[in-house]
Amino acid sequence: MTEADLHRGLDGFESLLQEKASELVTVLEGGDLNSALTIINDLQQVKHLAFYNEVGYLTRGLHEAIKSFSDDVKVQGETNDEQDDSIQGMADASERLGYVIELTEKTSHETMDRVDKSLALVDKMDEQSGRFADLLSMVGQLEAEFEGLRGGYDRTCQLKKESEQTVKDLRAELTEILVAQSYQDITGQLIRRVITLVTQVESSLVQLMDMAAKVERISGLSVEKPASNTNQKAKKDPIEAEGPQLAGKNDPDVACDQDDVDDLLSSLGF
Amino acid sequence: MKKDIKILVVDDFSTMRRIIKNLLRDLGFNNVIEADDGKTALPILQQGGVQFLVTDWNMPGMTGIDLVRAVRADPKLAGMPILMVTAEAKREQIIAAAQAGVNGYVIKPFTAAVLKEKIDKIFQRIGS
Repeated sequence: MTEADLHRGLDGFESLLQEKASELVTVLEGGDLNSALTIINDLQQVKHLAFYNEVGYLTRGLHEAIKSFSDDVKVQGETNDEQDDSIQGMADASERLGYVIELTEKTSHETMDRVDKSLALVDKMDEQSGRFADLLSMVGQLEAEFEGLRGGYDRTCQLKKESEQTVKDLRAELTEILVAQSYQDITGQLIRRVITLVTQVESSLVQLMDMAAKVERISGLSVEKPASNTNQKAKKDPIEAEGPQLAGKNDPDVACDQDDVDDLLSSLGF
Repeated sequence: MKKDIKILVVDDFSTMRRIIKNLLRDLGFNNVIEADDGKTALPILQQGGVQFLVTDWNMPGMTGIDLVRAVRADPKLAGMPILMVTAEAKREQIIAAAQAGVNGYVIKPFTAAVLKEKIDKIFQRIGS
C-alpha cells in the first residue's frame, strides 16, 4: 500500500477496492494467506482514514457556515474580536428584539399618559358646560327685557348642545386611541415568539459546534473549544398559548374576529 | 349592578392592563387591581374580596387557562365570573376556555365597544 493510496479519499476508495480485490483473489489463489490479510487490513485502514477526513471536512464546513451565519446576524459596525463570540450575534438579536418590546411599552404608556391628561381636560370642558348653562339661563331672563337679545337664548342653547356633542365625540376618540395601544401587547407577543425561536436556533448551533469540535479533535484536523449546550424541546400541546395569529393566515382552525369567537361559542351552547 | 365590586385584571403586558383598567373605569368600575400572571393572581384571589376576574391567556409563569382551571377547582372561588381577553384565537383554544369555565371570551385586538358589551353581558347574567 502506497502513501498515495492512503490519501485517495472516499471517491478513490471504490477504484482502490476494485484493484485490491483482484490482487486479493490472486494471492489467495497462490495460497498466501498472510498477504491476503495484509491487503484486507490495508483496505480497512484506507476506508477509516477516508471516512475521518470526510467527516472532518464536513464539520469544518459546518463550523465556517455557522460562523458566517452568525456574522450575518450580527449588526455591522460591531466589534468582532473573538472568533468564538460568533454565537454572540444571535444573542444580540434577541436582546434587540427585547428592547423593541421595552421601547414600545414605554411609548405606549407615554401615549396613554397624554390620553389620560386629555380626558381630564374633557372632564373640565364638561364642568365648564355646566357653568355655561347657569349663564345661559340669565340671558334667557334678560331676553324679555331687551329687544336686541331676541333669539339669542335659543341660538346659544343650540351651540351649547353642539359643543356638548363634540366633547362626547372627543371622549370616544380618545378612548379609541387608548385601545389602539393594545398593538404593543400583540406585537410584543409576536416578538417574544421570535426571541424564543432565535434562542432555540442559537442553542442548536452551539450544540452543533460542540459536536463539530469533538469530531475535529478525533479526526485530528484542528482543535476547537467545546461550547456548552442547553437545549430542550417541549412537547406540543394542542391548546398551548401561541400568541397573536398572523393576519391573512387563513387557517380554518383560527377564529378571525370577535364575531367568529361568538359564533363558535354560541354554536356550542355557551 | 354594583359598581364598587373589586375586579382583578391579569395580563403580563402593563399596556394591556392599563387599557382594560381605563375601560372598566369608563364603565364606572373604579375598584380595579392588577396582577401580571396566574402565579401572582392566584394568591390575590385566594385572599378573598375579588368579585370579577379578567385574564389574558398567554403569560409566563402560570397561563390564564391554568388560572381559570385553578379558580374553578377552588370551592371558595369556583363561582367567580371570568372574562378571558386574549390573542389566542384557535377554535380548540376557545372551546377549551369555554370548557374550563370562562364566562366570556374577547380576542385581541378588541374595540372598547366589544369589551364593554361582554362585561355588561356577564353582569346581566349574574344579575338575573
